[in-house]
Amino acid sequence: MSQIVLSARDLTRHYKVSRGFMKGHATVKALNGVSFELAAGKTLAVVGESGCGKSTLARQLTLIEEPTSGELSLDNVSVAKAGQSELKALRRKVQMVFQNPYASLNPRQKIGTQLAEPLTINSDLSAAEREAKVKAMMAKVGLRPEHFYRYPHMFSGGQRQRIAIARAMMLNPKIVVADEPTSALDVSIQAQVLNLFMDLQQEFGTAYVFISHNLSVVEHVADDVMVMYLGRAVEVGSKTALYAKPLHPYTQALLSATPSIHPEDRKTKIKIVGELPSPLNPPTGCAFHKRCPHAVERCKQEVPELRPIGGRQVACHRAEEINV
Amino acid sequence: MSLLTIKNLSVAFGNPANPFRAVENMDLTVNQGEIVGIVGESGSGKSVTMMALMGLIDAPGRVTADELSFDGKNLLKLSARERRKIVGKDIAMIFQDPMTSLNPSYTVGYQIMEVLKVHQGLRGAKLKQRALELMEMVEIPAAKSRLDAYPHQLSGGMSQRVVIAMAIACNPKLLIADEPTTALDVTIQAQIMDLLVNLQKSQNMALIMITHDLAVVAEMADRVAVMYAGQVAELGRVPELFRQPAHPYTEALLASIPEHSKGAERLSTLPGIVPGQYDRPSGCLLSPRCPYVQERCRAERPQLTPSANGSVRCHFPLIAQPVEIRDRKVAQ
Repeated sequence: MSQIVLSARDLTRHYKVSRGFMKGHATVKALNGVSFELAAGKTLAVVGESGCGKSTLARQLTLIEEPTSGELSLDNVSVAKAGQSELKALRRKVQMVFQNPYASLNPRQKIGTQLAEPLTINSDLSAAEREAKVKAMMAKVGLRPEHFYRYPHMFSGGQRQRIAIARAMMLNPKIVVADEPTSALDVSIQAQVLNLFMDLQQEFGTAYVFISHNLSVVEHVADDVMVMYLGRAVEVGSKTALYAKPLHPYTQALLSATPSIHPEDRKTKIKIVGELPSPLNPPTGCAFHKRCPHAVERCKQEVPELRPIGGRQVACHRAEEINV
Repeated sequence: MSLLTIKNLSVAFGNPANPFRAVENMDLTVNQGEIVGIVGESGSGKSVTMMALMGLIDAPGRVTADELSFDGKNLLKLSARERRKIVGKDIAMIFQDPMTSLNPSYTVGYQIMEVLKVHQGLRGAKLKQRALELMEMVEIPAAKSRLDAYPHQLSGGMSQRVVIAMAIACNPKLLIADEPTTALDVTIQAQIMDLLVNLQKSQNMALIMITHDLAVVAEMADRVAVMYAGQVAELGRVPELFRQPAHPYTEALLASIPEHSKGAERLSTLPGIVPGQYDRPSGCLLSPRCPYVQERCRAERPQLTPSANGSVRCHFPLIAQPVEIRDRKVAQ
C-alpha cells in the first residue's frame, strides 16, 4: 500500500449568486459532499458532463478556492488548519494543467521564462541553474533546447500542452490536477500527450487527478474512477470494476452514449432523455431521477447515499435490483 | 446518378505564384439518402471543402474543380444569385458551435421563420405553423413557448436543435453537418446523433458528417472519407474501413484512439505533425511520418486508386499485407 497524498472528506463548495435587485441570493451547490483518497503514483479520473462540479473540485484541490465545508488534506497536512507559510509550501506540491493550451500560456513571455517562473518564485537557484533545470525538463517532455527562446505562438497545440505539462512538473509536485488536458487536441496528438503523462508519472511517481468527459481516455489513464452528477459522486471505484460492470444508471448511460469505433460490438444501447438539470434548482431526491429509466417514487423523495456494492461505492437506491 | 459530384476540387489561398493549397485534388460523390463521413485532424481541409461547395470561399481564396455538380446543376457555372437559391434550400449546413451560429438579438422563432420567408415565401399563420412543426420535429420540448425564446435562454443541446430545425426547414436534399456534436456533452451528443439519423431517414436526405471523432463516423455513416493535409487519403465503406484500413494514415489514426489500446501501457502514436505551407514534401504527403515509407513514396505523389474497400491514395496499400502496429516513440 503506497502512501496517501491527497484525501478529501465531504468536500463541499457552495456559491452565492445574485438573482437581481431586491431578490436576495440563491445558492448553487456546485460541489456537494465529495470524498476520496489518492495514493502516490496513482491516477484518479473524475468523469461527468458540464456542470457536474468537476472543475469546482479542481479549484478546491489546487487551493485556488477554500471549500465551504469538508476536509481536505494534502500530503497528510490538513489544509484548513495550515497557516500562511504552510499553505505556501502546500501550493508547491499541487500543480495544475489546464484544458486550453492556447489560453494558459502567456503570449508575451518566452517559453524559457515561463517555465523558470515557478523556480524563480519558489526556490533560490541562480539564473544559470534555473536554465539548466528548465532545459532538462524540456527534454523530458519532448521539446528541443532551442525552444527555450521561443514564444507560445510559434508552437502547435500539442507542443503547447507539453509546455503546460512541463510547467506543472517544474517543482516536482506530489499531485497534478489535469482539467480536460486533451480535449482541445486532435486524436493523434492526444495519444502523444497521454503517453507523456504516463511516462512522467512513472518517472516521478506523481499522483494525477485527471478530469475528463471522455470515457475512453479515462479508461486508458485511470486507476480509480469517480463519476459525478450535479455536484455529487454517483459511482466511485476501480477502473476495471467500473468499466467491466457499471452499476449506477448514470454510469451505464454515459458508457453507452460514448461513440465507439466498432459500434456493432456494443451489447446494449441506453437512451437518456432530457438534459442536465440546473444546479440552481436541483430536483428533489436523487438528482438523476428525471432522466433515469429506473426511477421510482422513492428516488424522488430520498437522496441516495454512497454505499458499498460490488467492490465499489454506488449512490443509487435500486442498484441491486436493476443489476441482477 | 449521384446527388453531389466533386471532381478534382482545389482551394488555394495566398500568393498565386506560391499558393497554399488547403484542399487539393479532392474527389467525392454523395448519393441520395446516404450518410458520408469526412474525418481528419485540424487543418486537413474538411471544412474548407464544404465551404467551397457552399460557395462561402471569398477572394483571395480560389476554388477550381473539374466538376462540382449538385442535383444535375453545375455549381461552378451558376451566378451568385442562382446559387443562393440552392444554398440554404437544397443544400443546408449545420455549424459546430450552436451558441455562435444563432443571432443573439433575435428570438429563435424569428430565425427559423426567416429561412421559410426567404426560400418558401410563407407568411402569417402558415409561417408560424410551419416553424412550430419544425421545432417539434427536432424534439424541442414545449416548442410553442420556445418560439419566443432568445438563444441565451437555451442550453447548448437545445440551440443545436434550433440550428438543425433551420437547416431542415426547406427539406434539403443534402445536409452538411460540420462537427455538430463537438461542443456538446456525451449524452446530449448521443441525442443529437440519433436525431440527425432519424431526420435523414424520414426526409431521405443525404448527410455529410464532418468530424474529427472517428467513433462518431463509425456510429453513423455508410461511407467515410479520411482526409490528410487537404487530400482524401482513403475512401471506403463503414465498418469495413475501420476493421481493415488500407492507408497507413488511417491505420495510425485508428491506433491512436485509446479504445484501441485497451490494456496496453502506451498508446501508439504517429510521430511529427501535419505539413504546413512551406514544408510540403514533393512525394506522398504522409511520407515524412509514414512508418512504411519507401523510396518511391518520397519521389512520386500517389493518386487515389481503387482498393478492396473503396479507394486509397497510397503506393503500397496495407490491405494486401496486414502488418502489426508497433508502438512508436513520442515525436519531437
